[in-house]
Amino acid sequence: MNRAGAVFASLLPGVGSAVAVTVYVILLLAVESQAAIAALLVAGVIAVLAAARFGGMARIGKSFAERRIAMNLVIVVAALAMIGFFYEDHFVLLLVATVIIYVIACLGLNLQFGYAGTLNFAGAAFFGVGCYTAAVLTKNTAMPDLLILVVGGVMAAVIGSLLILPVLRTRSHYSAVVTIAFALMFKIFLEVNDTLGGPQGLRVDGMNVLGWVFNDNIEIGENFEASFYLNYIVLGLVILALTFIVVRRLERSWVGLNLDAVRLDETAAACFGLNITRWKITAFMLGNFIVGLAGAFYAMMIGFIAPTNFTFSDSLNLIAIILLGGIGNPWGVVVATTVLIIVPEKLQVIEEYRFLLFGALVILILLFRPEGLLPRPLRTYLPGWQPK
Amino acid sequence: MDVGVFGQYVMNGLMLGMMYALVAVGFTLFFGVMDIINFSHGDVVTVGAFTGLATYLGLSRLGITWAPAQVVIVLVVAMLCMAALGALIAKYLVLPLKAAPALNTLLLTLMLGTVLHEAIRLFYSRGANPLRFPSLLPTNAYSFGNFTLRVDIAMVLAAGLVAIVGIHLVINRTKLGLAIRAVAQDEETAKTMGINFTLIVLVTFAISSGLAAFAGILYGLYYSEIDFAMGILLGVIGFSAAIVGGLGNIYGSIIGGFLFAALETVGAVAIPFASAYKDVFAFGVVILIMAWRPTGLIREKISERV
Amino acid sequence: MTGAVNGLLTARDLTKRFGGVVALNALNISVRPGHILGLIGPNGSGKTTFFNVVTGIYPTSGGSVAFAGEDITDFSPQAVYRAGIARTFQRSRLSLSLSVFDNIMVGNHIRLDQGLWFNVMRRRDFKRQFEESFERARELVTVFNPPLAARMFEAVGGFPMIDHRRIEFCRALISGPRLLLLDEPSAGMTHDETTELMDNILEVKERLEDLTIIIIEHEMGVIERITDICVVLNFGQKICEGAYQDVAADKLVQEAYLGIQ
Repeated sequence: MNRAGAVFASLLPGVGSAVAVTVYVILLLAVESQAAIAALLVAGVIAVLAAARFGGMARIGKSFAERRIAMNLVIVVAALAMIGFFYEDHFVLLLVATVIIYVIACLGLNLQFGYAGTLNFAGAAFFGVGCYTAAVLTKNTAMPDLLILVVGGVMAAVIGSLLILPVLRTRSHYSAVVTIAFALMFKIFLEVNDTLGGPQGLRVDGMNVLGWVFNDNIEIGENFEASFYLNYIVLGLVILALTFIVVRRLERSWVGLNLDAVRLDETAAACFGLNITRWKITAFMLGNFIVGLAGAFYAMMIGFIAPTNFTFSDSLNLIAIILLGGIGNPWGVVVATTVLIIVPEKLQVIEEYRFLLFGALVILILLFRPEGLLPRPLRTYLPGWQPK
Repeated sequence: MDVGVFGQYVMNGLMLGMMYALVAVGFTLFFGVMDIINFSHGDVVTVGAFTGLATYLGLSRLGITWAPAQVVIVLVVAMLCMAALGALIAKYLVLPLKAAPALNTLLLTLMLGTVLHEAIRLFYSRGANPLRFPSLLPTNAYSFGNFTLRVDIAMVLAAGLVAIVGIHLVINRTKLGLAIRAVAQDEETAKTMGINFTLIVLVTFAISSGLAAFAGILYGLYYSEIDFAMGILLGVIGFSAAIVGGLGNIYGSIIGGFLFAALETVGAVAIPFASAYKDVFAFGVVILIMAWRPTGLIREKISERV
Repeated sequence: MTGAVNGLLTARDLTKRFGGVVALNALNISVRPGHILGLIGPNGSGKTTFFNVVTGIYPTSGGSVAFAGEDITDFSPQAVYRAGIARTFQRSRLSLSLSVFDNIMVGNHIRLDQGLWFNVMRRRDFKRQFEESFERARELVTVFNPPLAARMFEAVGGFPMIDHRRIEFCRALISGPRLLLLDEPSAGMTHDETTELMDNILEVKERLEDLTIIIIEHEMGVIERITDICVVLNFGQKICEGAYQDVAADKLVQEAYLGIQ
């Protein structure tokens, strides 16, 4: 009896918080009235602060760490419940899909920034490389869509490495300039280039995997019709899960250690055999691949892309997300992306002030809580492993 | 190409070079004194320009219409305001982050730049559109054969030269400049010599930001138009110019600024159908220079002790 | 030159210039395998510069360095490490935000599989390598400070200076180098802490008989106690060589440290 009680007690904070968050997010997404949304946001902030103040966060964290398998299941169920609730709502599902795609992209940026310390201020531009690759390939070739995703990633990785290789041996602020210059040039390049649609942009065909047309609503029987965005969400979740696992495992391995060593002290790392260039380039290319793949996927889902989506400010937004969430913490990326994408969408009044607010937010974080909302924990190579 | 057109290109190039050089010198001063990259610098140029515009409008309201007075007052007000802004940025945003990794300061100033130009876009009246900047300089021109020399350009160039020479004199001939150089060399030693580190940092930021305002007003006078986004590209170019010239070295920054302008002009001549590509061309060359000479054309100061 | 023929590490006419400053002036140093060589001299005499040139952080301006018969002049730091030379730094260069284990593993680079496929996909093999590495690291740490061995996964930042030094030693020793370069390990340590550290080093030396050590030090007590031979530098040149007692009594050495008598 006691054993069951103990299990229940350790599960409760985790499951309880998952349920609470699910309900909260569903409410936030479903409600239309601006006043109600504002109230919800305020309530949410208060709840989080209260939880942090009274040790709730620690208990939730413990619950997640101790009951990993159960909690992973709970998260999956919660996500499915959230999505299932809105099965007909195109707008909400599009928002959810966008969040998923941005999380994938930010995981890639996190690999570059958070682990290897290579600065990339052109996240949105590389995302755009993936988008335009998808646009061009869907229009002009019969390449299978899944392969197009991969090619989009490869293009971003290749272009990124061309950009960064020349300056890898130099100080980090050089790669900052190079990526900023690329971010600024990318939009201009697209606008003067009519072959890529110019300022008006390009149409992109929707996904079609093995005959399953993603842009058709899902009809089961006569009465059930679900939004076609569910197709993209499912595939998006699969890609997200894979990306998350790969990035996680990288961090929890000698590769992750090398990246950290290179970021924290290049000279010492070199004296112990680490090839600095190799690791910086690996992280940069891998990160860009992920960003490009996310971009290609996004283009096919949204059906239309234009240079105005890929400005320097958009790149800075991605950085704001990573900084807010907590550099180097993938779960931080998830939380921050969700907050920074959903809130401006729902609270229309701040949409116009988005860049200003994000900028101010990052300044505050850097001044007062530079480790972000969810600071990065120490590396646990094998979760649950104990020395003998 | 005939002499007249060539002359135009040269004047334009010199003008651009002057602006880039002024911005680059600012970057180099920040790096020299605190080993930090201040990415809000380009946007401070923008704020300076808009401050100048607002001052001009205020002067017009007050009935002051004598152009030379307007120019002087606009310059002085903008420069003083930006100097104050620079000092505030140093005191409340940059100095607190002194112990943190340099990346944090880079990120913070980058975001600060965004906040500055977004604030202008959102809160300055009609700030989202390009705004006309008054032509306060004489508009006459002298012709030498095919080549036309505009008086205003000549004045702007002369003013820029004065500013650069002024900076040189301050840094190399005054006690203040000596203190700045001491801090740039070795903060610890400078402190033990009785130099007030905080004060020097504030002053350096003030000087650089004042210079930025100067550059912003020059921009407005030359292009007759300013917009909230003018500082973004200017900042990146200024920073690249400073790197190419060797971060921490004022003369390198000046050379870098003019070099970048020369590259852009060459690019514009070589690719006349897409003037946007001139920037791509110039950046491309700059990246190659960085790869070839990572420490800059004149050595960047290396401060790491093994 | 003592041990020139049998030297494990031999520097011949090694020169290093920084602009107009000659930091190393045609230096000839050799250390025999299994010996502990003390490198001493007043501040600025070129001791750390010597280490930095040998380990490839600075390029040479002239002369050569040979290690175990191989010419390693102007090798990259990575190649020097692979040849079997490891070092500590004057200013303890550890990553304070990483764990003790992480910091030590950085030094173990040569024994760890760095491939992406291995680290992401072959997790069972990775686990095995991880456990092996952990055992080695724990064994090594126990030599220096047994309580530390129970706290391998805590952040280094939370430990006192003397443990930082020990962790640095472990990082340098874990890959089993043939030559260990120690740069002022007693800097910032109290007298007792220094004695403890030196006890640790001697204990390690006992277990690893063919480990060769070059140690830069200012604390003469340490030099006297643990070194087999000393080399004294002044202005980048060797001014004396021999056992500590002989070197300490040498007139030139006294002048260098204390000024003209």
